[in-house]
Amino acid sequence: MLDLSLNILDIIENSISAKATEISVTIEMIVLKNRLHINIKDNGIGMDAELKKMVQDPFFTTKTHRKKKVGLGIPLFKQTVENCNGKFILQSEIGIGTEIETVFQYDHIDRMPLGKLADTFTIVIIGHPEVDFELNLRRIFLHGENKIFHFSSREVKSELGDIPLSYPDVMMFIQQNIEEGIKKIELEEI
Amino acid sequence: MKTLAELRKIREKAQQEMKLRQSNNRVKIVVGMGTSGIAMGAREVMKTIMEEVANRNLTDVLVTQTGEKGLSSMEPVIDVVEEGKQTVTYGNISSEKARRIVAEHIVNGKIVNDFVVTVQS
Repeated sequence: MLDLSLNILDIIENSISAKATEISVTIEMIVLKNRLHINIKDNGIGMDAELKKMVQDPFFTTKTHRKKKVGLGIPLFKQTVENCNGKFILQSEIGIGTEIETVFQYDHIDRMPLGKLADTFTIVIIGHPEVDFELNLRRIFLHGENKIFHFSSREVKSELGDIPLSYPDVMMFIQQNIEEGIKKIELEEI
Repeated sequence: MKTLAELRKIREKAQQEMKLRQSNNRVKIVVGMGTSGIAMGAREVMKTIMEEVANRNLTDVLVTQTGEKGLSSMEPVIDVVEEGKQTVTYGNISSEKARRIVAEHIVNGKIVNDFVVTVQS
């Protein structure tokens, strides 16, 4: 994976495989503490302790319908975090859901760039219209005003009624909305 | 900043259009978004397809995604699913190829043989 936004996309796809109907992504940059938090939480089927241990192993996958049995999504993300003095915490409970919490040292030389976060969010929202997405992006200053962007696909859907999210004007609306929001909070100078 | 009022306008416009047509989705484009697909550029492909569909105002096309399909060596992979027709799987797709598939297959109904992996009824 080339950047964090692709890792996030991969983790979100895991949540969807776990039958999640609600997924929330929080990205928080705490400027003065030099920390970047990325949290992804779902209400999917969850995992027991044994499975939780196994998914962090690069030679494990939940897929049973074919011979090749490796899954790299979680191990890749974990490695990405640990490469830059970060912390990776996986919490999960059967029937409740799964949450991945990560902390990065923001200015670590090996920290991947955030990448095209707007693309990740836009395509998962449009590609999985049955799932409610909640995005919370924050840039926290210890002094002065914090910058916050919030997006809820449930709000958009309730406004649209029976019009699908992949309707051309709606796709453009979602994409532009998220792009503007991310630009506004300046999570990363590119 | 975009507002919900804008969405309401889109909704009204879309509802007018829906009244004029019979079925909601003529064709579905499914992009494989497993780990290997993502690593090979499936997100870019999906975004390109979305933009093409939006720019051409194809209101009867559904763009969606699925997980790993076991075609890792041919990622990114997309399926074109049309009711009453054969499902076509395309492999090794780039943004450029995706644009051609939208123009030739989705708009003009002609399968792009150069990129086909399998065709199944």
